[in-house]
Amino acid sequence: MYLYSLLAAMLVIFLIFLVPKRLKVWVATGVVSLVAVAAIAVAVMAFCDMKLDAVEFTTTLFGAESFAIDKLTALMLVIISVASVATVLYSRGYVAGYLERFSSAHISIHYTALVTLVVSMMLVVMSSGGFSFLFSWELMTIASFILILFEAERQDVRRAALNYLVMMHIGFIFLVAGFVLLYNVTGSANFEAIQDYFHLEAPLPLFVILFIGFGMKAGLFPMHIWLPEAHPAAPSHVSAIMSGVMIKTGVYGIIRLMQAVEDGSLLYSVGLIILISGAVTGLWGVILAAMQNDIKRMLAYSSIENVGVILIGLGIAAVGHAAGSPIVGMCGMCGALLHMVNHSLFKTMLFFSAGNIYSKMHTTAMNEMGGLAKHMPITAIMMLFATVAICALPPLNGFVSELLIYIGMFNGVGSGHEVLYSVTGIIALSLIGGFVVLAFTKLYGVVFLGSPRSHHVAECTEVDNQRIVAMAIPAAFILMIGLMPQFVIHPIALVAEAVTGTDPTLASIHFGSSLETLSYIGIAFVAVVALLYVLKRRAQRKRVVTEGPTWGCGFTALNTRMQYTGESFSEGLESIGRPLMKDTVDGRAVDKGEIFPAPHRYRIKHSDKVDSLLGRWWVQMMHRINEYVMRLRTGRVNNYITFALVFLVVVLVLTLFGVL
Amino acid sequence: MLIKLLNTLLMVVVALSITGVINRTRALLAGRRGTRFLQHIYNVRLLLRKGSVYSTTTTALFRIAPCVYLGAALMAFLFIPIANLEPLLSFHGDIILVAYLLAFSRLALILAAMDTGSSFEGMGAAREALYGALVEPALMIGLATLALFCGDSSFAEIFSEGQVLDVNLTIVLLLVAYIFVIIMFIEGGRVPVDDPKTHLELTMIHEVMCLDYSGIDLAMIQMAGWLKNAIFAIIAANAVSAVFCFHWGFAAPLAILGAGISVGVVESLRARNKLSRNITYILTLSALSALVLLVGFLLMQDIQI
Repeated sequence: MYLYSLLAAMLVIFLIFLVPKRLKVWVATGVVSLVAVAAIAVAVMAFCDMKLDAVEFTTTLFGAESFAIDKLTALMLVIISVASVATVLYSRGYVAGYLERFSSAHISIHYTALVTLVVSMMLVVMSSGGFSFLFSWELMTIASFILILFEAERQDVRRAALNYLVMMHIGFIFLVAGFVLLYNVTGSANFEAIQDYFHLEAPLPLFVILFIGFGMKAGLFPMHIWLPEAHPAAPSHVSAIMSGVMIKTGVYGIIRLMQAVEDGSLLYSVGLIILISGAVTGLWGVILAAMQNDIKRMLAYSSIENVGVILIGLGIAAVGHAAGSPIVGMCGMCGALLHMVNHSLFKTMLFFSAGNIYSKMHTTAMNEMGGLAKHMPITAIMMLFATVAICALPPLNGFVSELLIYIGMFNGVGSGHEVLYSVTGIIALSLIGGFVVLAFTKLYGVVFLGSPRSHHVAECTEVDNQRIVAMAIPAAFILMIGLMPQFVIHPIALVAEAVTGTDPTLASIHFGSSLETLSYIGIAFVAVVALLYVLKRRAQRKRVVTEGPTWGCGFTALNTRMQYTGESFSEGLESIGRPLMKDTVDGRAVDKGEIFPAPHRYRIKHSDKVDSLLGRWWVQMMHRINEYVMRLRTGRVNNYITFALVFLVVVLVLTLFGVL
Repeated sequence: MLIKLLNTLLMVVVALSITGVINRTRALLAGRRGTRFLQHIYNVRLLLRKGSVYSTTTTALFRIAPCVYLGAALMAFLFIPIANLEPLLSFHGDIILVAYLLAFSRLALILAAMDTGSSFEGMGAAREALYGALVEPALMIGLATLALFCGDSSFAEIFSEGQVLDVNLTIVLLLVAYIFVIIMFIEGGRVPVDDPKTHLELTMIHEVMCLDYSGIDLAMIQMAGWLKNAIFAIIAANAVSAVFCFHWGFAAPLAILGAGISVGVVESLRARNKLSRNITYILTLSALSALVLLVGFLLMQDIQI
């Protein structure tokens, strides 16, 4: 029934082409909201254990395929629905700035792709048959490709979009290979068949192939390089839904893979692979995030880091189950699943804030901003809220999920079984936690605080109310999960049960009371801070409170260009981060010997070492292949006839020997 | 309940006296008469009565930040037990909450420093953020080592009575105590990482971040500093007392004297690190804590090396 409503939505979206420019967004909003409400209704039914019949149908293309909704799918549907409603609401204000410039068809295509992306993501998480899964997966890639191309007149946008398309298809090839292999061995390409395959054949090759395929979407190291290219190019609401939700479909695939692995030595190796790739991805992402000087590139790297955190949780869960301690498994799984939800919420908010800034400043370079909080106060508050949430600080939601992962790891250490795995996780997660604070204080401090670094800042004004409302939707969920985690953990534990088969009551026994206490402590913390502030204000009423310039340490000719920039803020980290980066410098820095420095232009960009490594390797190989191929192109007809003859002879010989 | 109140009271005493012991030790080693034992408290009382000057560059965040800084430190403070006493608040997993509350207080002060738009304060903020990030693994692994011995992740459980620890683990526990004392140096902005008495803003870390604070705000920041010091001093003292005599009557004085004297002696005897060496210094501490955990694990498994 729900599936048909999705298909109906796919038909209705062509209405977008018929209505006037300004109304297109409302058609998209209507369709997405309807689909989202239906999805949430279905998800609630799935959580309440109501019987949802799997839809099975046979098509000439894929054979018999089915769509089913289990609890993991339901969780994903909720994530997709919330973020997509916020995104489509946000898009009105953002796209309004382009209505003059772009043709009606351009806007229509954008919104059609947006609705298609939402629908295809829902189809991805619902399809249990491999081929319909691959079809929806491809639909999702193409829809997001079109969305990235919104500002197609910019050359960097076209390059980033093409890069994205190529990378996604490399991943897609791995997925196709994996599912075809699966189909060949078991006779079915369903997700359930993976389990049979693991019994029949050596499981690790298939696992690795599919892991790479899903990892490409999720942005695992070293396949993360499309993220920092695609996000700055895409419009902010598209970045929000891609980063907040779409990369989670990759994680979803990895969870489905884990689900197919039964307890035993295989689960150990799977857990180890996931844990190590999570730790590497997380650390790589966070260090590069801290080094970036572009808001959206930085947020993209932070998404990579968060996928790393989710994978650390999943890895700990797998290792815990393999070692026979369901508590560790439960904590890791619940933490990872909750972090998926959490990241989709605060990352949407952060990208929306970045969009607000971009639509006013027309740039995402941090070092041209400063003091924006005075001109865009609501955006500043929202961004601060999301910053605290993503830094995993209590009492907001990021802390709850990291707490669960940590409890799992500390349990692993305490029980003395999985000490080395857990310690690896603790080291990685604590370093990530510390660097996230560095990265986001840099972002927030340089963009919103201090004094303006360029005159454009003074012209900024607050954005329209609809965009604020769109940001308030994730904010409300962040607050709810942060302050009342004990209610949220119940459905999450049900999903964890569906994935790992552990008893969900274990969750409430083991950390239900912790989360309840945490909820009171979170409220108490807010109350203490508020009380301190009120007391301070009361005390100050009787004292002399004056205002003056910032203390310049005796120097009186201060100007705003002397402020700490983003680059100088992360300078200390550079000695650690240098092996991971390749710097491109434009201009020249002031030399130590210059006593009276002349005006200098200096711009530095920290790009990923993996990026240039992969890129260079790829280009060189293409060049070499081209050289060989070009030798054959002589331009003489007699040579070409010889080639044809050689080809026929080779075919003949091969046939004679029975090779063909 | 009475035990909880006793614990909190003792904690407050510890927090208030550590700075006094530090000052007395420094004076004694330098051959000065030095200030009164309670001078730092009088100083803060004076600040609390003063008015404030705020920079025109700042936003409301600058005025709220000290409250968050103190509030977060205060919440973290309430989770710490002294040896076998019960803390006021406790739940399963609170060691992580304490670590993250301290991170929150750090974030508040860093943002406040960035809010002034001063390059000096930006400098301090950048350093604080980096050192805070690097010290996090040391803190977490130090806590994990304690969790390894006691099989739990709440302070109250880890340090509860009845934890009879093997005599083999003496060295490990002493090293854990050492790690927490060094973390106290780093988080408290003490020599060898930072020098609170330095005259040059360029070389300051913690002090330079509060350059624009005055009056009540500065008092709040200083009080939060005492609380943070007390948290690490007491964890270190608890680890030591787990070896010898696990009793609050032993641990509380040890926290005051041990932390106070060690800071005083180190500040009197050695100079501050070159700033570029601090990264290595802190990372070495993290590596040491990982090593300690490993040794502890091997000892727990009765693996003879």
